[in-house]
Amino acid sequence: MNALTSAMSMTLNARSPDPAPTAALTGLHLAYGRQTVLDGLNWALLPGQVVGLLGRNGSGKTTLLEAMLGLREVASGSIQIFGEPVATLSDAALARIGYVPQQSDLFDWLTPTQMLDYFKSFYPRWNDAKVEGLLSKWNIAPGKTIAKLSGGEQQRLAIIRALAHEPDLLVLDEPVASLDPAGRRDFLRELVDQVLNRGTTVVFSTHILSDLERVAFNIAFLSAGRIALQAPLDELMETTCRVSGPVASVQALLQSRGLVALRSTALGGGRQQVLARCAADAQPPGSQGEVRVEAVTLEDLFMGLTQ
Amino acid sequence: MSSIDLFSIATGSSEPIYRQLIEQVRRFVAGGQLRAGDELPSVRELSQALALNPMTVSKAFSQLEAQGVLERRRGLAMVVAPQHARAQPAAERAELLRPTLERAAAEASQLELSAAQALALFKTILREGNNP
Repeated sequence: MNALTSAMSMTLNARSPDPAPTAALTGLHLAYGRQTVLDGLNWALLPGQVVGLLGRNGSGKTTLLEAMLGLREVASGSIQIFGEPVATLSDAALARIGYVPQQSDLFDWLTPTQMLDYFKSFYPRWNDAKVEGLLSKWNIAPGKTIAKLSGGEQQRLAIIRALAHEPDLLVLDEPVASLDPAGRRDFLRELVDQVLNRGTTVVFSTHILSDLERVAFNIAFLSAGRIALQAPLDELMETTCRVSGPVASVQALLQSRGLVALRSTALGGGRQQVLARCAADAQPPGSQGEVRVEAVTLEDLFMGLTQ
Repeated sequence: MSSIDLFSIATGSSEPIYRQLIEQVRRFVAGGQLRAGDELPSVRELSQALALNPMTVSKAFSQLEAQGVLERRRGLAMVVAPQHARAQPAAERAELLRPTLERAAAEASQLELSAAQALALFKTILREGNNP
């Protein structure tokens, strides 16, 4: 598929009600020795979605993102990106992917200018003006050896490298871990620009929930080797509640209102707290008698859904 | 006048960001800071200024349009609907405080505070004035 026809199919897909996914992962299994990391994982990223990937430390987020890009072999399962099997991606498809790894190994004996020129040679499209603009806006000395840049500067440089060829799919693994709050805000603005100007599909993992809340419209929770849940964050917050009180009364309320328990915690004294979810078109009930019903934050969802 | 500086959002809240934006616009319209015909920032401007997903901003604008608070003018600009020519009467504005005060009342009762104690605190906070 050449760039033109793939661009056309993207446009057509964007208009049809059920667009072909930018990335489709089916039945992925992967283990390190005896430790299962991905356990029959299914996942789809639709064009233009910005998806935040959440999971506890060691849940396999990096493994999943690497596997998705074909950088890590899976034991079984299928991965398609832009409709092509990831193992045999065409050059045209590869050129539409941007990736910021957690650990960036950015040819640290080169200067930023040399490194970026080197990468430029691989891509049919390269936005010089954007690269120049970001290097200057983010105060990265173009002539200094990369090894001598700070961790935050190296991370910004990795982000510039991933944005320079204007990818249609952007994969970011903890992209802001070593950025200060101002640097994170700059990065988020850049991400918003990408989405506004190009409709880029973005998936990124982070532990900084406030960043996720701002830019990720959809949230995916990785737990026990699977995507436990993916939904728009607004919808999750509006349909999930924390119910607490005497066990029997809590259970009676859950049952009568058709709430599904996501996680239960015993509180002692015959009381419990349940993180529960109602149907997408319903609203959680109000507090009743001894049973308290409260709204939840993204942090509550993280705690409840990434066990 | 640019209304973009009026907006701010809080992360870590149990109120989704699009609803925070909706409530802010409703309060500004009720209070008269935004009046009939005033233009709102575009989805692009607001999502860039606050570093928000554009879909979140456009969801808020669409719902405000459905509620009759905003109107979509030719092109994409949203303006305050013509019936909101002046600030609402104080009684109606006070109603917009109800959800926040209901939450505060529920928490006061969980803390077993008396009405007098809770009201005294609220009065103190009001007196301390325009805190953010």
